[in-house]
Amino acid sequence: MFKGKIQEALICFAHPRVTLKYPFEPLEPPEGFRGRIAVEVERCIGCGGCANVCPSRLIRFYDEGDRTRMEFILDRCTYCGRCADVCPENAVTMTKEFETATDDLRDLYIVQELYMGTCNRCGRCFETENWIDKIPTRRHREGARFLGPATPHTEPIQEVRR
Amino acid sequence: MHSTGYCQALEKAAEIEVPARARFIRTIILELERIHSHLLWLGIAGHIIGFDTVLMQTWRIREPVMWLAEQITGNRKLYGMNIVGGVRRDIPEALHPKILEVMDQVEKETKAVLEAVVNDSTIRMRLEGVGKVPNSEAIAHSILGPSARGSGVAIDIRADHPYAAYAETGVNVIVETGEDIWARTVVRIKETLESVRIIRDALAMMPKGPIQAVIDKPIPPGRVGCSSVEAPRGETHHFVITSEEPRPYRWKARAPTFQNLQVVPLAILNETIADVPITVGSFDPCFSCTERVEAVDVRSGQVRVYRKKELEELSRAFTRRGR
Repeated sequence: MFKGKIQEALICFAHPRVTLKYPFEPLEPPEGFRGRIAVEVERCIGCGGCANVCPSRLIRFYDEGDRTRMEFILDRCTYCGRCADVCPENAVTMTKEFETATDDLRDLYIVQELYMGTCNRCGRCFETENWIDKIPTRRHREGARFLGPATPHTEPIQEVRR
Repeated sequence: MHSTGYCQALEKAAEIEVPARARFIRTIILELERIHSHLLWLGIAGHIIGFDTVLMQTWRIREPVMWLAEQITGNRKLYGMNIVGGVRRDIPEALHPKILEVMDQVEKETKAVLEAVVNDSTIRMRLEGVGKVPNSEAIAHSILGPSARGSGVAIDIRADHPYAAYAETGVNVIVETGEDIWARTVVRIKETLESVRIIRDALAMMPKGPIQAVIDKPIPPGRVGCSSVEAPRGETHHFVITSEEPRPYRWKARAPTFQNLQVVPLAILNETIADVPITVGSFDPCFSCTERVEAVDVRSGQVRVYRKKELEELSRAFTRRGR
């Protein structure tokens, strides 16, 4: 009758403590871990590929005249990493950051605006094919005025949605 | 689990051939999922009957499996491994020793727990002869998965309609004839050991080659696909109709819990109140899979049907509430 109890006690004694001191000691996730996504605006070309593949549709692109407005509503993110897979410029990457708990949902909300070329015919945004075409666009002008050289052609907007 | 079901349904609809290596990787991930799900269940069952040593020890055994899954797929639980036409990440050669090491550890420790639990008279007194589902009732209610196998019904999608690489590895269907909670417990522990065996075989048999099929043309609209996957709780069925958009026109998933819970009133008949939690728990219910909603006007008794647009607006309002 007590055989099982003794066996259970032996299992318990053989493994004294396995829990980690996690909140007090930092925990490093393994290589290839998919944490919170990071968006690098300078690299983005506004193609909208990430918005197209996102299974929970948390990435939204809005066409607003000469600029594209991008919204990332990260509280719905399932960390699948498809956006990082399809991004042709590696502007979206998965970081190792996993401590995303917050008491304010606005912390998980990213808005970015990207000045793009505007089609003369339909008025929609497009990415110019070469740098010479880019010169008349507002992205180039704003970039040249505020950010120095034309390469960092964007500016993250510190905006909070109501 | 569900992603495999969905991808298989879509692959059938679009007639995409999945490479052999991808099928083996899917099998390994599915079995890792089964191991950790069964160990989780065993812990919760121990917790329900007030025997927390089982909870602590089985979850300790389970944790290396989660770490292994994190290393292979990039996440502990939401693996994100499947994609239509294959898998997204390869299992590199360098990880094989690590997988085998974790499997050896899991096998050794699960065997020790099985032996200890079998010899423990307290657990057996608590579980034997309780929550009985006779074989005939199990068939009549068509309950699924380990719950059915504990009542002597030998059904297992992996063996009956092999998918992924189960045809190559083979599956020994574990059947117990006790018809009570104890039988379901033993089925789950033994299935954990069987999963370890399948992962070892799959690793040894895994062929080299691509992990994703080349899909060079868009998936034709209006095709119908259906697939079945043996989840840790029972059969899961996925049904897909394709559309012109890059999203399905219709998608229906059927999880096993709703089916399994139908037999609970019978199982708790003439039992004491104290046995109800473990009897319900012995079917490994996933209550979020069981949620059904019907909007009824209490005064007139009329049933209201929500349109897709109304549901969308409701769920958007629900999402926005925090902002």
